Amino acid sequence: MDIVLCAVSAAALDICLLVLIIAAYREKHSEKKSWNKLIHHMELAGPDTVYELGCDEILIGRHASADIRLPDLSVSRYHAMLTVNASGIWTITDIGSKSGLFVNGNLVKKAVLRENDIIGLGNRRLVFRRRGGNGQ
Amino acid sequence: MKSIRRCQFLISLFIVLFIAGMAALVIKIHREAKFYMTHSGTMSLGRVYDRHGDVLYTGTDDDGSSYPDNYFIDVGSLIGDDSGQMENTLVARNTDKLNNYSFTAGLVREGGKAAIYTTLDHEANRKVYDAFGSQKGCAVAYNYKTGELLVCTSLPNIDVTKGYDDIANFESGTLISKVMYGTVPGSTQKVSTVITALEIMGADRLFAKRYTCEGHYTNKTGGVIDCHNIYGHGEQDIQQALENSCNPFFAQLVADSDMPLNKIKKIYGKLGYAINGEEMEYFDIDGIQCERASTTLEDTDDFRTQWGCIGQGDTLVSPMQLMMWQSAVANGTGRMTMPHLIAKVTDVYGDVCERGHTEFSEQLFTDDNAACVRQMMLTNGANHYSELIPGYSLGVKSGTAQVDEGAKENSLLVGFVDDEDFPIAFCILIEDKDSGSVKTDQIAKTLLDALSE
Amino acid sequence: MVNNPIAYLFSCIFVLGAHIAMLANVMLSDGSGGSFVLLAAGVIGLDLVCFTVMPFFRQQSYTIDFMLILVLNMSVIMQSCFGGVGFAVKHWITCIVALGACRVGYLLCRDHKWLEMQKKYYYIGIGVLMLITVLFTGSRSMWINLGENTSIQPSEFIKPLFVLACATSVTEQQKRHRILGFNVVYDNLALFGLTAAICLMQWWCRDLGSLPTFVGIYAAGFLLRICYPKTKFSKKSLVGAGLALALAAVLAVFFAPEYVRERIFSDIWSDTSGNGYQQSKALIAIAEGGWFGKGPTNGFLHEVFAHENDIVFATICEEWGLLFALMTVLALIMMVAVPLISPPRSYFHATMSACVCAAFTVQMALNIFGSCNMIPFTGVTIPFISSGGSSMLVSGLMIGMLSACQSPVFRDPEPFRFNAEAPKRRRRA
Repeated sequence: MDIVLCAVSAAALDICLLVLIIAAYREKHSEKKSWNKLIHHMELAGPDTVYELGCDEILIGRHASADIRLPDLSVSRYHAMLTVNASGIWTITDIGSKSGLFVNGNLVKKAVLRENDIIGLGNRRLVFRRRGGNGQ
Repeated sequence: MKSIRRCQFLISLFIVLFIAGMAALVIKIHREAKFYMTHSGTMSLGRVYDRHGDVLYTGTDDDGSSYPDNYFIDVGSLIGDDSGQMENTLVARNTDKLNNYSFTAGLVREGGKAAIYTTLDHEANRKVYDAFGSQKGCAVAYNYKTGELLVCTSLPNIDVTKGYDDIANFESGTLISKVMYGTVPGSTQKVSTVITALEIMGADRLFAKRYTCEGHYTNKTGGVIDCHNIYGHGEQDIQQALENSCNPFFAQLVADSDMPLNKIKKIYGKLGYAINGEEMEYFDIDGIQCERASTTLEDTDDFRTQWGCIGQGDTLVSPMQLMMWQSAVANGTGRMTMPHLIAKVTDVYGDVCERGHTEFSEQLFTDDNAACVRQMMLTNGANHYSELIPGYSLGVKSGTAQVDEGAKENSLLVGFVDDEDFPIAFCILIEDKDSGSVKTDQIAKTLLDALSE
Repeated sequence: MVNNPIAYLFSCIFVLGAHIAMLANVMLSDGSGGSFVLLAAGVIGLDLVCFTVMPFFRQQSYTIDFMLILVLNMSVIMQSCFGGVGFAVKHWITCIVALGACRVGYLLCRDHKWLEMQKKYYYIGIGVLMLITVLFTGSRSMWINLGENTSIQPSEFIKPLFVLACATSVTEQQKRHRILGFNVVYDNLALFGLTAAICLMQWWCRDLGSLPTFVGIYAAGFLLRICYPKTKFSKKSLVGAGLALALAAVLAVFFAPEYVRERIFSDIWSDTSGNGYQQSKALIAIAEGGWFGKGPTNGFLHEVFAHENDIVFATICEEWGLLFALMTVLALIMMVAVPLISPPRSYFHATMSACVCAAFTVQMALNIFGSCNMIPFTGVTIPFISSGGSSMLVSGLMIGMLSACQSPVFRDPEPFRFNAEAPKRRRRA
């Protein structure tokens, strides 16, 4: 009798936890949607990689711990940082790079990014664009 | 993003570590739950059986009233119970195995099948117990090939089903199995001394030694060692001295310049003696603690040391240990067969969860010396015991121990049967031998006859 | 009102279902007296109220809140059944307090930029709390006695503030200054100092139970800082630092006060009525409970001191079975594991989540493993399961913080500076 009762309670708890996890995944989905809406579906595109912009501070550099890692000696370990504000405007800041930060060919310390801006870090070029590539 | 993923990684690390800890905890609890239960107030102990399925302990739910009076009296202080009156007993030390409990099933109060099947032979044990008559003492015997304890009884004893209401009037020694505790070994100690001498000087030199016994021996420091034969044994070699159990011979042997103290100490230590008040260690026989031997070895010219090597005075050896040395001799390997009492253990469902197995000690002395002592004892047995205990090829050594400062004498007999098919080693102790008419050889005969049936 | 009404509805139903299953278990074990009705009403009522109130806080994710209410009411049921059904009103009220604290934590911590700007206040707050602890707690203890059987533990309240102090953003880690040839981040130095101060205070107060919690939180914060090295942080130096720490720990054990060493080097089974009393009783209770328990209200451990907090895991094991106790712990673990499913959107929130997770796992580990004699026994509580006001409040607050990390808001702390920079670039362009 005890065993049955215990098993039933444990099973109810199990199922409840499972449902909560499923709910969490549903919520993750909608949270992602609203995040993408906040950042206006922007992303960074390199020559062969597309970098998702998943959080509000994104480090770009050569170091392994950088969010966007560009393994190129012309890129500083920590080269630049992307930040987003509440209205979804992305700003790029030079954080002490050796070779400088270029946006559309201009050397900048800090710049607000617009769609299709080209960011230059050392020899690397990244395009700031809407999700789905240039075709969208 | 990498930075966020790093945080997630750290979170998973914490969680994984915690879950690993939990897993370890569950494993630990699952394994040790039986032990925890022994500290619980409620237990449901199963039965203890002998080798033929005879009940030795009735368990928690049976008060033993269906058995004849004093049915369990020969094993009371060995098997014991869970009352807490006797700590050093099989049941008290193995309540975790005997408890009808498993982590899954919980405590099963009725119908649990937890049991311990021992190697004892209850019938033989009882016969030996009865053979003592009104005298006190103990007897132990085991199979020196396998280590199975067959007989282990001690007198006076107690039938645990009768309870402890009368505990104030119990005779001293009722609640312990004397087999496990040290006693003055008397001349049975001379076997150890012979082994020691053999190890130190080898058989050839030892057999060449001859000393004269004039009924007593005055050593260099003025101490007098008396012989039980006041007229003396004359000049003897070691074989004769062993058969005569001649004290002056052995005192002179110990005092001999070929027997340096440090070597004696080393070999005694190897045999398992705690020398000069070293901390006493214990053998573990399925949880039951058995005392090791102890003696005093300070100066080979001193009375106490010589007296100790003859097996009197400060020397204490448990009958169990005396018997185990016999196995090392009888095996011819110099390795003792470690005795065990549990043949198998069944859990609450009746499945066998543990089996007893044979173990040997490390080598105490060389094969050659074992064979030599073996032959000496067999010769002694053939010369003096073939009529008293007929029908067996025996190697034996008797002993008389002075206790209570010489007021009483205990009689001991250790030995083994030289038979591949009947490999029994035994030790018998009768306390205060002059208080009755029973002799150790009679008990030995009863014991061997009962076991060979 | 809710982003995922279906998920919300199902969560409600199944949380309620889990509680009803437990209540049914209690009912069948011990009949249905008046106190049982009270208990059922309290639990289900609290559930329903929470389910109604929660949608008014427009959250991205409700998972943590559901798990919180699930665990809290489970603990109410468990606490009410120790040795007989009796509605644990005090525990129920502290649960409501915890829920309230969770809301407060949620509302305060949603905006990570604002949170980061308040950092100096955390230090001040911790300083004040430490001062209070040192000045007002009874002779070298960790409790402030408020009379009438009420006492609070100020060191508990340091925890959420310390979590906030440990959280950091990537931007913060890039603000480097050169001191004596080393690149240092002031924040990291300050945090180290703070940790040292807290550890010293805990040592002085003999509150060595919560010391590992702080160390755990700091370890999380520290590990998430050193991944942004400017000067190379070689693996060798890291290993060296680790070894030094281990050595320090060993030395600490040897130079620990007598009462600590007693606990570390003692065999509980040889002293079952003295130092090992609680632990041995706890282990016996777990063994007696087995996998499936004796059934609620049937245990004996409720007679042992601190059965409802320090050795609560064993009490639950005994009555509900090890299986169910493990499930309960799993529910707690899932609560702090939610950031694994839905990642936070800022490093500050992510580090905060990690620190909260560290605090929770360390506390649970100390309590559970301690009461089961795997590590020295300390008087730490399991969050939400153990009874105790301070701990409930603080744990609620920390879970609120965790929940806030799941539903962040973005506000601009300094919108004008961005605008001022922007035209400059345009001009150049």
